[in-house]
Amino acid sequence: MKFFSYLKQHKSKLISLIAVIYIMALLPLYAWKEPVRMEKVELELLTENIDSAMTLYAENCALCHGLAGEGIGPNPPLNNPGITQMDYDTLFKIISFGRYNTTMPAWGQADGGPLTEYEISQLVALMQNDWWTYVQTRVINLGLQPLIPFESEPDPELLASVAALPNGSVLAAGITTYAAQCVSCHGADGLGTNIASALNDPALREQPQEEIENTILNGVSGTLMAGWKSILTSDEVMSLSTLIKEWDTIPSGTIPAPETPIHVTAESLQLGETLYAENCSFCHAAEGQGTPRAPSLNVKGFLEDTNDMAMQQIISLGVPDTSMLAWETRLSEAEIQAIVGFIRAWEPTAPEVAVPARGSGNSAGGGRWQNPGSTTDGSKGPPWMRDGYPSN
Amino acid sequence: MEQEQSQQTPLVDFGNRIKQAFFPTQEADDDRGRMRTVLNSLILHLHPTKVVKRSLSLTYTWGLGGLSALLVVILAFTGILLTKYYTPSPDQAYYDIINLQSNVVFGELIRNVHHWSANLMIITTVLHLLRVFFTGAYRLPRAFNWVLGIIMLVLVLGANFTGYLLPWDQLAFWAITVATSVVSYIPIIGPEMSRMLLGGPEVGTATLLNFYSLHIGVIPIAMVILMSFHFWRVRKDGGITVARKVNEDIVEKPEKLTTLPNLVNKEVAFGLVWIAILLAFSMLVPAPLEEIANPMISPNPAKAAWYFLGLQELILHFHPIFGAVLIPGTALVLLVFLPFYDFSTQNEGIYFRSKRGRWLTGIAVLSSLILTPLWIVLDEYFLNWSNWLPDWPSIITTGVIPVAFILLGIVTLSEVIHWIFEINTEERVMFLVTFFFTALIVLTLTGIFFRGPGMALYLPWNMPVVTGH
Repeated sequence: MKFFSYLKQHKSKLISLIAVIYIMALLPLYAWKEPVRMEKVELELLTENIDSAMTLYAENCALCHGLAGEGIGPNPPLNNPGITQMDYDTLFKIISFGRYNTTMPAWGQADGGPLTEYEISQLVALMQNDWWTYVQTRVINLGLQPLIPFESEPDPELLASVAALPNGSVLAAGITTYAAQCVSCHGADGLGTNIASALNDPALREQPQEEIENTILNGVSGTLMAGWKSILTSDEVMSLSTLIKEWDTIPSGTIPAPETPIHVTAESLQLGETLYAENCSFCHAAEGQGTPRAPSLNVKGFLEDTNDMAMQQIISLGVPDTSMLAWETRLSEAEIQAIVGFIRAWEPTAPEVAVPARGSGNSAGGGRWQNPGSTTDGSKGPPWMRDGYPSN
Repeated sequence: MEQEQSQQTPLVDFGNRIKQAFFPTQEADDDRGRMRTVLNSLILHLHPTKVVKRSLSLTYTWGLGGLSALLVVILAFTGILLTKYYTPSPDQAYYDIINLQSNVVFGELIRNVHHWSANLMIITTVLHLLRVFFTGAYRLPRAFNWVLGIIMLVLVLGANFTGYLLPWDQLAFWAITVATSVVSYIPIIGPEMSRMLLGGPEVGTATLLNFYSLHIGVIPIAMVILMSFHFWRVRKDGGITVARKVNEDIVEKPEKLTTLPNLVNKEVAFGLVWIAILLAFSMLVPAPLEEIANPMISPNPAKAAWYFLGLQELILHFHPIFGAVLIPGTALVLLVFLPFYDFSTQNEGIYFRSKRGRWLTGIAVLSSLILTPLWIVLDEYFLNWSNWLPDWPSIITTGVIPVAFILLGIVTLSEVIHWIFEINTEERVMFLVTFFFTALIVLTLTGIFFRGPGMALYLPWNMPVVTGH
């Protein structure tokens, strides 16, 4: 009892003592955990920033350095130990300031580029930490996969017909050079791509030939157009400028685009499946077996004859005079590619002959339009429109 | 005596000499001696030598003033440490915080303690103001100290506001953008004031430097000066008001105890407990930090700091001149002049003045809890004066008319209360202040929890999440 009355008398001191002991216990405990916490935070920050960097890479860098940093053509690969082990400052400076006399522009805002210093530091973190396999998935999921550099094979017959023109030998040489060097950016038949402007263009043909040659030789600063001085001979430059000046005489299809397959990931397949069910299964049936309204897609003949690019073009632009719409206004390019990827996945198991869905009434496509008055089942419309309907 | 000293061991002698450095005059171990110790000590001299026994009760003052002072000390201490790792430039500030989190031992803890102390301080200072108001402790001769207190409350808000920008993350950038855009609504001088605060047309390098100098220089110095003044006035005004029970007469000579040890021991215990609470909380809950500030991407909704959300809510309902200037400005001015209108010191020291006062406070809180949300919903979905009177200027339709209606409603309410309870001036003031303060709390809570994308009303559990980009 005496003890309790003592405590009561010295309540404040007791509370102070408990508080001090509590603080004294907490601080070492926290200090002991501090290295673990800091490491955890650092890892979280790294993960977070590399995640942002992957999107930045997809939006800004994949175009030249490839899907997963493997490099495209003359643009160097990034996914190698040489880059991974480079120090922070060097990498930061290269991205920020660009590299003189190459296609690498300055990306830092201080030098007129689009990226903040923070974003550049995120990209450096990505490069130093070798996350390229994830980058590939991110780039594909964002629908930003780069054009794979290709050399086009000029159509021999059309090339021969061009060579027969008055200025033919120069033009043919220009076509050959273009097909080898320029086509991957400026596109088939010089019609342009999303990264470079069209060269088969009346406005360009108005330009004096020296100016065109000058552009080819020195490049256009601030764009991906590099100076080709060190690669092309003066004869090649001359033949190219002639080609650009006289492109209206070249028949289309002379420099065709080769086939480039569409990349798929688990996510894009999933997306493709959803989009197909929402948009396509209505007419092409749930399994792509087709309905009376639209041809089957899940059939060997179709899948073997139609490459990915062609399929994408059909979906984007539609088929004139049929009920196949131009979907490019409704779906993004990435979404269309996801659908193509989904359809392509049927190829290994596609039957030789398709059996269109018809009136089963349970699949998403076939049954939807089946109603008693429908003409598709041969009942020829509602009763009052049929022959022999007692109208009078 | 001398013989006794010579018998002591050298170690105790050593301790005594140190003790002598702090307390040069050795006082006798009795009440009189302890009183002299307090009198002769610079720090303890903040207190009188004796305090009224009843004022020592924690449930009267709740130690809110003392806690606020303790928080100032904690904030100064942690703030000085934080400046060692901080550069006030947009290029560097955010990295410094990241560095603090991941590379500096105890860096995150110090930042958390600073952050949570600053936020707690808004709560403690407001509660301190309410305590003083509800015990009627703000009338003459304490009216001047009341005004000092209100100035310090504004400084606390200013310190929080300027500190909010320093981490330079998205949260900071857009909260300051929203809050300073409110300033520019002030007629005539508003745009210039906003420019002065920001150092340019928008939040940028100049703003950060400006806010930094205010945060670590101007405001702390002003705070220390005003705090000293505030403490000194407490002593000069005769200490804090003495707690009384309802209907208890003022005691001429209340029972007093010596400050040492009765008050000092309690203060030490109270302070240590709060330090322990703050430490534990800061170890468990990290201060928020979002992505680096990006002027190109604005979050939706862009909200001010939580303590300004009541104000932001007002602007959603009224013409900016009313919402940003007239209503808060009038409220502040009225608060300053309150003790000169409600001047009777009869019920000093009694919580809520009287038994009837307690009932009235309850009714005020309850009616405000019902009427304010009702009005928010009405104004949001049904009242649309600017559509009903399309030819009238918006300052009339969204300013004068709704304010007039609200004032009419409140005058009616207070007259009804007067008719039922036959209240006097003092009780009417208390009723209205309680009503408006509760309304402010409701507005703030609405801003924090019920406003979603586009500042539209949502239920907190149905809040849609808008992702960036």
